[in-house]
Amino acid sequence: MAQYPPRTKTDSLQGSLDLLVLKILSRRPHLHGYAIMTAIGNISDEVLRAEEGSLYPALHRMEEAGWIRAEWIKKENGRRARIYELTAAGKKQLGAEESRWAAISSAINRVLREA
Amino acid sequence: MSLWSRIGNVFRGDRINREIAEEFESHIEEAIAEGRDPAEARRSFGPIMQQRETSHGIRVAGWLESFVQDTAYGVRSMLRSKALIGVALLSLALGIGANTAIFSLLDAVLLRMLPVKEPQRLMLLGTARTNGVSDAYGFTELFSYPFYRELQKQNSVFSDTAAMFSMKSDIHGFIGNETSSVLMKAQLVSGTYFSTLGMEAGMGRLLSDADDSTEGDHPVVVVSDAWWKRAMGKDPAVLGRTLKIGPTVFTIVGVAPAEFFGTMVGDAPDLWIPFSMVKAVPPYFDGYKNNFAESLYIFGRMKPSVTPEQATANVNVLFRLILLSFTDRKPDQRELANLNNTHVPLTSMGTGLSRLRRQFSEPLQMLMGIVALVLLIACTNIANLLLARATARARELAVRQALGAQRGRIIRQLLTESLVLSFAGGALGIAFAMGASRLLLRMVSSGPEVTPLNVGLNTTVLLFTLGITVATALLFGTIPAFRATRVELTETLKEGRGMVKGGTKNLLARTMVVLQVALSLALVVGASLFLRSLINLTNVDTGFNRENVLRLNIDPSSVDYKDGEPRLTTMFEEIEAKVSALPGVHAASFSDFVFHEGSWNGWIVVPGAPVNYDVQVKHDVVGNSFFATMQIPLIAGRTFVPQDTAKSPHVAIINEHMAKTFFPEGSPIGKSYHMGTNDSPVQIIGVVKDAKFGSLDETPQSIDYIPYLQHPQYVDDLSVRYTGDFNAIADAVQQTIHSIDRSLPITDVTTLDEQVQRSVTNQRVVAQLSIFFGLLAVFLSCIGIYGLMSYIVSQRTNEIGIRMALGAPQSNVRWLVLREIAVMVLVGIAIGVPATLAGGRLVTHMLFGLKDNDPASIALAVGVLLVVGLIAGYFPARRASRVDPMIALRYE
Repeated sequence: MAQYPPRTKTDSLQGSLDLLVLKILSRRPHLHGYAIMTAIGNISDEVLRAEEGSLYPALHRMEEAGWIRAEWIKKENGRRARIYELTAAGKKQLGAEESRWAAISSAINRVLREA
Repeated sequence: MSLWSRIGNVFRGDRINREIAEEFESHIEEAIAEGRDPAEARRSFGPIMQQRETSHGIRVAGWLESFVQDTAYGVRSMLRSKALIGVALLSLALGIGANTAIFSLLDAVLLRMLPVKEPQRLMLLGTARTNGVSDAYGFTELFSYPFYRELQKQNSVFSDTAAMFSMKSDIHGFIGNETSSVLMKAQLVSGTYFSTLGMEAGMGRLLSDADDSTEGDHPVVVVSDAWWKRAMGKDPAVLGRTLKIGPTVFTIVGVAPAEFFGTMVGDAPDLWIPFSMVKAVPPYFDGYKNNFAESLYIFGRMKPSVTPEQATANVNVLFRLILLSFTDRKPDQRELANLNNTHVPLTSMGTGLSRLRRQFSEPLQMLMGIVALVLLIACTNIANLLLARATARARELAVRQALGAQRGRIIRQLLTESLVLSFAGGALGIAFAMGASRLLLRMVSSGPEVTPLNVGLNTTVLLFTLGITVATALLFGTIPAFRATRVELTETLKEGRGMVKGGTKNLLARTMVVLQVALSLALVVGASLFLRSLINLTNVDTGFNRENVLRLNIDPSSVDYKDGEPRLTTMFEEIEAKVSALPGVHAASFSDFVFHEGSWNGWIVVPGAPVNYDVQVKHDVVGNSFFATMQIPLIAGRTFVPQDTAKSPHVAIINEHMAKTFFPEGSPIGKSYHMGTNDSPVQIIGVVKDAKFGSLDETPQSIDYIPYLQHPQYVDDLSVRYTGDFNAIADAVQQTIHSIDRSLPITDVTTLDEQVQRSVTNQRVVAQLSIFFGLLAVFLSCIGIYGLMSYIVSQRTNEIGIRMALGAPQSNVRWLVLREIAVMVLVGIAIGVPATLAGGRLVTHMLFGLKDNDPASIALAVGVLLVVGLIAGYFPARRASRVDPMIALRYE
């Protein structure tokens, strides 16, 4: 699987962006990029913030991997917007990412508790 | 996503880019609608634009897309610097074109395999170095027809064995009932010729062994595809049509395949006739049943399991056995000893036989070397131009690297640009080569006709061109690409185009100019050597007066004159007499040979002296006025007179060299000798000055002249000494000949001087081409010096301005620049001279009358390069000296 480009600015999400995007899309399909970005902000009470510079490459990469699929819709102002939804592979991936996250976070918690 | 759709994406790249842009726009729009600052919203996409380059690698087949992009980018950026590209393309086109042209000739002459089945399995007896008819016992080059039949029967190594007449007959025959004759070059072959080659007919059938089974009753021919098209207008009903050759009517039974030109490279026959008809084909040679009329090349197809060594061993055993089984000639002691010591070498026939090859292979290989050097010079030139350009683009490249483009990516892009450049050059080069190779073929064809070689483009040639094109791009592109990307980013970005520290910065570029000078020096020396060698050759004293002589050939054998019959001699005499009587004609004479036409040679027996078998005397059969026509001076005795008739004692005139060799003591006049085994002696009546016979660079030969009246035979060269207009004389002579026999074919009407010139065609072509390429090399080096110095001057404008502001005079500044050039040229010369001297040994045997270390040539080359180098540097130097200090100091 491809890595983030080395020069990407480090953001607060640190490798969990995929998980967040997949989760949000699983709850609320047919969001465009901006909506996903604001959703991450809103749900996390502005603690987490996805930069455009990370989000779009991540979206394109996941589309490439077949986890999400995109389509163009017409907006009211006549412009087109590109919206995303989860695929079957994406659902599977979400499951995998979720359990990975659970394993990591519980491991970290253990360390914090017991160290 | 499948690879296929990834590749698809490459060509949909634009659409995808548009869609991404559209998505971003829509994002920004949403952001603004929510109240974000528009400028800030836009700025947040900055890093993404940068990443798009990187994300390509993920999204599509990365390298392919970047290649397409780089190509497009390369084309665009090249179009911006038109002058540079023009020079680069021109030198590439010339360089690659010249290489392709020479290679296509080299390929046709030396490399291309015969278009037959498994040509590498074909082996020839001997080396095909000689042709003609021989009666020497145990000769390993030419063989008799009965020998061929015996070898075919007895050998155990060839699956098929074939023979071909070692000479091609230039016949004038008639198609059907037509009344005017047509030249047809006939090749007599054994019936097994085509089956041994493993060929199928293009149309009809090829010859078979049945056509060759009994003598004289198989008047059939196979015609070549080229001749069928040329002489018969591609007649679809060609099969069954007839050709009248001499008194015999032949039937066309087939047409050979189009790609088949025979087995002699550069010597394509029009017709193939079974050897059983040899007596019906001019010059009506009688060899079908003669055990010792050695006139054939024999070749065989080795059986699958047989190695060349086994074949050689078997052939050599049989060679002795078969010869000894021919009991009609009893070998003497010497001949038997010879037979036991002799060895028949087997030569591969994979690439066909060729006399051209011996003649051309060396000059061609040398020319190949020359054009390769020219291409190398062109490469260094372009490398330098790209280097200069890369420095000019340093900022652009630094910016891109700062934005995150990887060095490898940029190197790849620069190399792609070089590839684009060299492919454009290669395409132009091929166009150039198509014309040039034809011109080249015309130049190397020493006769009136163009040598029949296919020098057009083919897969081999195109692969070669592709190879050198890519090699060229790598050669000139690699160093600049690595150079250009090796930048200290911050330095360059800060510095802008500014200051340049010292001279070492251009060391690489200077080295290349030095290399160019050294290579050009070698090429100029070569050109001078070959030119001087050619001049030496053309100034050689031929021993005859080549000016004001018309020469032509007649072909009595095609129009029913039999060899040796009295009416042939009568016809010769009549033509000589009538032509001599023409106004403006001083003398006219037939002869067997004039100059550079081959020879009839053999040893002689001088009564009372041991026979020297090593010295071959060349015999020429001539008319009475031969010496007057050629103006070969008589030294002693007399020339032929009308009293020397068939019935009077046989006489001969010998040349000085022969007199010295065979009659060292006293005057040879009045002495006699035998020509070979001939019983009746000839008596020497005169000695003439030595004259060149075969070539201009030959050492003196032993030559004797005998009158055709006493040796009636075909002598087809007519020489006419004249004054006045050549064309008028030529018309008058031909009319006179036709007034005696209307049907007599006349060919190759030209001057003796032209004939002499033709004998040095090779040397002339080599001289002309090496001069051309030498000048080209100098010209390219000139551009190289000019380009580099202009660049250096523009880089140092600032420094020069300071110098001038401090009071340096113009001449001082000029000298500053010229000195740099002088140093480069001198270093180049210092390297080039020893290198040239070392390389010169390769060509020394191709030179006539001078050595490869010819001081004049080296001095000339040094002079040329100094002058040209300074001229090329003068303009940048003048520009430097005219720098306005004020402007220069403000510059940057």
